[in-house]
Formats: sequence, structure tokens, C-alpha cells
Amino acid sequence: QTKWDLPAAYPASNFHTENLEQFAKDVDKATGGKLKITVHANASLFKAPEIKRAVQGGQAQIGEILLVNFQNEWQIFGADGIPFLADSYDAAYKLWRAQKPLLEKKLGEQGMMVLYAVAWPPQGIYTKKTLSSAADMKGLKWRAYSPATARIAELVGAQPVTVQAAELSQAMATGVIDSYMSSGSTGYDTKTYEHIKNWYDTQAWLPKNAVIVNRAAFNALDKATQDALLKAGAEAETRGWAASKKANAETLDKLKANGMQILTPPPGLKADMQKVGDTMLKEWLEKAGPEGQQLVDSYKKM
Amino acid sequence: MRKLLDFIYDAAAWLAALAMVGVLLMVLLSIVSRQLQFHVAGTDAYAGYAMAAAGFLALAHTLKRNEHIRVTLILARLQGGARRGLEIWALTAAVLLAALFAFYSVRLAVVSYQLNDVSTSNDATPLWIPQLAMAIGTLVLLLAFVDEWVQELRGRRVVAENEEALHNE
Amino acid sequence: MNDVVITTLLIVSLFALLASGVWIGLTLAGVAWIGMQLFSSRPAGDAMAVTVWGSASSWTLTALPLFIWMGEILFRTKLSESMFRGLAPWVSRLPGRLLHTNVIGCTIFAAVSGSSAATCATIGKMTLPELGRRGYPEDITIGSLAGAGTLGLLIPPSIIMIVYGVTADVSIARLFVAGILPGILLAALFSGYLGVWSALNRGRVPPPDAPMSLRERLHESRHLIPVVLLIGAVLGSIYSGFATATEAAAVGVVGSLVLSAAQRSLSWATFKESLLGATRLYCMIALILAGAAFLTLAMGYIGLPRHLAEFVSSLGLSPFMLVIALSIFYIILGCFLDGISMVVLTMGVILPTVTAAKIDLIWFGIFIVIVVEMAQITPPVGFNLFVLQGMTGKEITWIARVTMPFFFLMCGMVLLLWWFPGIAVWLPSKM
Ligand code: NA
Ligand code: NA
Repeated sequence: QTKWDLPAAYPASNFHTENLEQFAKDVDKATGGKLKITVHANASLFKAPEIKRAVQGGQAQIGEILLVNFQNEWQIFGADGIPFLADSYDAAYKLWRAQKPLLEKKLGEQGMMVLYAVAWPPQGIYTKKTLSSAADMKGLKWRAYSPATARIAELVGAQPVTVQAAELSQAMATGVIDSYMSSGSTGYDTKTYEHIKNWYDTQAWLPKNAVIVNRAAFNALDKATQDALLKAGAEAETRGWAASKKANAETLDKLKANGMQILTPPPGLKADMQKVGDTMLKEWLEKAGPEGQQLVDSYKKM
Repeated sequence: MRKLLDFIYDAAAWLAALAMVGVLLMVLLSIVSRQLQFHVAGTDAYAGYAMAAAGFLALAHTLKRNEHIRVTLILARLQGGARRGLEIWALTAAVLLAALFAFYSVRLAVVSYQLNDVSTSNDATPLWIPQLAMAIGTLVLLLAFVDEWVQELRGRRVVAENEEALHNE
Repeated sequence: MNDVVITTLLIVSLFALLASGVWIGLTLAGVAWIGMQLFSSRPAGDAMAVTVWGSASSWTLTALPLFIWMGEILFRTKLSESMFRGLAPWVSRLPGRLLHTNVIGCTIFAAVSGSSAATCATIGKMTLPELGRRGYPEDITIGSLAGAGTLGLLIPPSIIMIVYGVTADVSIARLFVAGILPGILLAALFSGYLGVWSALNRGRVPPPDAPMSLRERLHESRHLIPVVLLIGAVLGSIYSGFATATEAAAVGVVGSLVLSAAQRSLSWATFKESLLGATRLYCMIALILAGAAFLTLAMGYIGLPRHLAEFVSSLGLSPFMLVIALSIFYIILGCFLDGISMVVLTMGVILPTVTAAKIDLIWFGIFIVIVVEMAQITPPVGFNLFVLQGMTGKEITWIARVTMPFFFLMCGMVLLLWWFPGIAVWLPSKM
């Protein structure tokens, strides 16, 4: 019997984590208990930024990472964080198909492999005031929690503010920030509706969690177990994308029930944000080089 | 030799104190930048690195001032040879554990360098740089423990009076 | 390997290392090392380094060294002396008199700081020398400080509530509000105990100063102005949105420097001393935190807390018995792990059981905070005990003994909370 540890950063009630638990059960069943995977949710084993390295170094055999987190290391990890490149579930899935071969190569060089990836719900803009164009975003106190969200703030003239996730709720209550960009589910989880009443459903991007495996640990399994793992991974991917869509619909309903206005971005805002997206894509391509161009080309052909 | 060792402990402690000022400055910078509407990326991360440096670099100096805490209940009741034996055991265990800590801290920085491990937040710092503070701090702590151990074996170890205790008596 | 065998071996090695005088932070790392080498197939060293680095450089902790520094600066000003002068005429008729300063100070400071160690260190730096000089007995002053310092967790803002709120999917704002009444009640219990203790130990409380008229008392209160200004500045910075709760610590340091300059006690020498003193005290705590982070990791790999939690969940208890069982479970776990690790390692298993027993999750959050508060003062691993050992040089066993009454008061608080759940859930229901 082989035992694997799977560190994950999100709480047990999150749909990604529930999917991981189901995946671990499927593997257990399919291998007749030969491979036991323990899911350590809620960053109880390793914190989000440490998980990739833990899998690479063999401290965990398998782990779940947020891909865009690792954009500083290699630009392609951040392809699903470029605003308006892929702005729906279908587009995001195409982008994943374009991104996957590059990721497989990179992670392969690092002694890892990618098992599957599942998108988070699409990102929109939470803001205290209503917006009709990007000009209205000037001077907003905007939570910048990643290089991309900081850059958006600069491009629209908002004031990027650094606030940690742990202090988000309080920062909104006291007015340290009055706007940020995230998915409906993040807004629901952090009780954003207690402080901010507008959410513009811009569908700006759909970041993905990927489950990665240490190659040496995988090679140490017998062929039947490897196949069972891959099969369970493929099933988890299908199940995860469906769960993400379902979670998105449910949380938007829950947000509405709690008084959040779910707004379609007005044409002016939409056009301006598209421009922001174009600028950021151009900047990203400069940094990502030929690999980035290859990814975007193959994505646009799909 | 004594002078050189003491210099190393104190120099590291001064770097740690500087890092403490760094924590303050980074947090102040994030407050001030928000008020004056400019943006410095990664102040939170830098504050974290400075805090780590403050903690690790002062380890040896704090040991030498006898301000790392331990349970001395049994030690205090023993006399002569028994006491010395237990003290040598505690120091031996400490040397081994400090060696472990130092070895893997150095390895952490080296592996970060080899893997090109970069901070995931806005600062994008190559992590081996701030991790150097942990590597150096734990190495100096190991040095200080070996120093104490050797002196105990030679029967010359003098344990500093804990100054803090005096304030409250 | 059987869980009972693992537990026994780890506890025996923990006590053996501690008792033989190995430094506490290194002991925790040593126990974690033994645990991982013997009971998990994972390579221990690299995982240790990654985790220790992660916790030592984590931004959430930055308020701790800054608050410690603030305490060191204030300790070198006349602030505590003038604070005591201002308070003395008001508490002179209360049984216990200035003994209440620890509880009052910690309660107020708890509204500024989210951590129990920071509350204990900052307030202790000001009250312990002053109470000692005025002849108050050491055992009760140190005990009440250790106990009251834990209020930092219950009175908002609170780090542990944020961790619980995210884990249990409960509103953090509501949790914060829910902590206010229990926090004040617990402070009142502490003060009440101090009053009873003083009535029973009349000879040990120093006599009051000469009685004063109301006018004189009001006049003496001018000495409270600096401390009120300082606390007002820190609290104000949080609630006006000038700074976040973590950043407020930096406001506290700057405020103390300004105050110390205004009182002409700021010189290069005192600045240097406060800086080095704070660096050493923080460093002492940092070594223990590093060991504790590694121990938490080892526990995560070995799965002991998870198995124990699964065991408690499997008993099929009535809600009351479940709360009692969980209290015992967390008190035992709290002897060996720090509060946040306890929550992170067990919540996944405990929450479904708690939900199934139809226990209100806000109520349960307050319950968790109180048991985590207890963990701060139970030996061998109790952070308030460590802070106080660092500050006073007393044996940890002695500190744990003088703190014991406050531990039992917290146990009483859990029962009160069970019989009168409104203490926790009434205020948030009004939101
Ligand atoms: Na607090
Ligand atoms: Na404890």
C-alpha cells in the first residue's frame, strides 16, 4: 500500500476541495486501496505558495496549486490571468487545452506532471460606486493582490492598495478599500455583500487550480495504479468544471439574496476594459516571448 | 578568538535590529502610500522578510544573553557532577538540533536558488535572497551553541544573568 | 503504528527533552523530527525548512514584533508611572486596588491587538515593574497578566477568529461582534476573582494612598491623558480606515516614540536599548514559533490530531456531552500545540459533527476562541507562559501554577456560555 499526501490551500467546503476528496475516494476504490491519498485542506500542511515546491521536492507526492500564483516564475503559468483573453467557461476550457502542452513540458523539466485543472468562476468587479466607464474607476481604492490586479488599477487610474485576504472584510468595513476584482464565490465567502453592493459581471478571466504530481512518485507506482490515477484525474476534471459552473450559479443567487446587485457591465465599461485587456495581453506577450505567442496562436485557432 | 566570536554574534544582532526597523518602515510605507496615493509593490512581503531576518539573525546574541527560555527546574536542583552532566547533555542535544536547523536552512536557500523559486506575490523577489538571513542566522546560532558546548566541556562556561529578570523584582 | 504508541512516545520525548533543560524551541523541533522520522515516510528536513520559513516570514505575524517593540519603548518612558498615578485614586476602594490594572490594561489593549502574546508582552512591560515597585505580590500579578493577556484573542480584532471564520464559512464581522460580550464578561470574571482573592489575602495587598476628594481624583486623572491619546491613536487608525489591524502596530510604535520624545525620555541610548530588547524578546518567541510550526507540520503528516478528532466525532454524543468532550479534547491538544494549528488541523473533521449536532457556528467560534485562550496558558507549550518566562526569568512551572486559577475561570466561562448562549449570539443577531 502506498500513501500520498495532497496539500490544498482552500477550505474543506470549497468545491475544489470537495472535488479533491471525491478524487481521492475514486483512486482508493479503483486501486483496491493500494494508493491512499490524504487531502490536507485549508493550507493545514503547506500554504498556497509553498505547495508547488513541496511537490517538486517530494515533501508531498501530489498537490493542488493556483496556476496564476506562479506567473512570476514563468509567464505561461499566468496565461489564465490575462483579462478578457478567455472570458467564458468554454473559452477558458479552450485556453486550458492550449496551455496544457506547455505546462506539461515545463513541469516535466521540473520533475512533475499535471494531472488535471479546474477553473474558478469568472472574475468581476466589486465596487461601492456604480460604473459606466473606466473613467469612473479613477481614484477607487482598489485591492491589488496579484501583479495583474495591480496593473489593471494603474491602467484605469485606481489606487492599488495592498490588503491581505485575512483583513479583506475589515478593510472593506473601514473603507481602506472600496473595490476589488474577484469571482462571485470569493465575494460570497468573504461576505463582501456586507460592505459592497455592486458586482459587475465582467467575466474578465477564469483562473485555474491545477493538481500536480511528483514524477518520481508517479513512476514508483505500478502500471495499473498509474492508469487508475490518470483515469480518476480525468473524471475529476470533468466533474470539477461542472461543479465550478454550478457553484458560480449558486453563489450569484446567494449574493443576490444578500442584497448584491449583479450587473452586466455597461457598453462603455466593457469597451474600456477590453482596451485594458489588449494592453495587458501585449505586455504579457513581450514578457512571455515566443512560447506566449505560440500559446495565444493555438488558442485563437481553436 | 573570543573577540571574533563575540563580534560575529553582535554584528548579526545589529543586522537583526536593523531588520526590525525595516519591518516598521515597510508597514509605515504601506500606510503612507495609501494616504498619498502612490503604490509601492510588495511592502507586505518585504515586511515579512525583514521580520524573518529580525528573528533569525538575533538567535545567537539572544542565546548569549541567556534570553532563550528553557526549563531549568531540574538543573537548578542538581549539584556538581550531576549538574554538569545534564548541562552537557542539554548542550549536546542543542548543538545537534541547531546543526540540523542550520543545515536545512542553508539547503533551503541553495535549493531556492537552483529551482529559481520566486515569491508569488507582487514583489517577485527571488526567495534565496531573503532566505539568506535564515541560513546565516541559524549558522551563527550553531556556532554559538558549539561555543557554549566547548566552554562547558572546558569548565569555563559563564552563563549571563538574565537582565530582564532584574527589572521585575 | 498504533496512535496510542505514537502519542506516548512523542509526549515522553517532549517531557524528557524539556525537563533536561533543552531550549524550548529546539525541543519542539526535536520532537517533530522524532515523530516524522519514526512515523511518517516523508523526508523531514526540507519540509521543516520550507514550513519554518513560511511561518517566520508570514505577513500576518508582523504586528507581533512591532507591538513588542512598542512595549519596550513605553517601558522606558514615564507612561506607566503616570498611568498608575492616574488610575490609583479610582481603584483604591476596590478590593485588590491596582491589581486590576493587568485586566483593565489587557482588555483595552485587546481591542488594538489580535494576538495574545503581543497583549501579554506590551501590557506586562508597563504593569509588572510598576506593580512590583508598589509592593503587589508577584504570583497574583504574573498570574493575572498571563490570564488577561489571552483576552487579545476574544476581544476583536482577533487573528484566531479570522482563521476560524474562513474555515467554518462564518462572517468574520459577526464573529468579531460576538466576541465583545464574552470578552467583557471574562474580564469581569478575572477582576471578580482578583477582588475575592484580595479579600481573602488582606495582608498581601499594599495599603491605599491617602483618600482624595473627587476634585483631586479628577485632577490626578490628567496623568491618564498620554495613555488615552496613544490608545486612541491606535484604535482610531483602525476604525477610521487609516490603517488595517496589522498595520496599527506600526502606528503604535510611532506613537510611543512621539510620546517618549514629548516626555524627554527618548535618547539614542533608550532607542537602542528598546530596539535591541525588542529584537531579543521577539527572537526568543520566533525560535519557539519555528519549532511549533515544524511540530504542526509533523502532526499534519502523522495525522494524530485528525485521528483524535475523528474519534471524538465517532462517539455519537449529545450536544452537551459533545461540547464537554470537545473542551477536554482541545484542552489536551492545547497543552502541546498553539491555537491556530489546533484549529487548522482539526476543523475539517470537527465542523461536520458540530453542524450535525445543530450547534450554532458563531457560538462554536467563540467556544473555540476560549479553548484556544486556555491553550495559551497550559504547560508545557503555552505562549503566554513563554512570554512571561522571557520577561520575568521565572520558571515556567511556577508561572503555570500561578496562572491556574485563571484557567479554571475560563473553564467556568465555557459552562456559562453553554447555559447562556445569548452571551455570544445575541449581539451578532442584532446586526
Ligand atoms: Na484583540
Ligand atoms: Na498550552
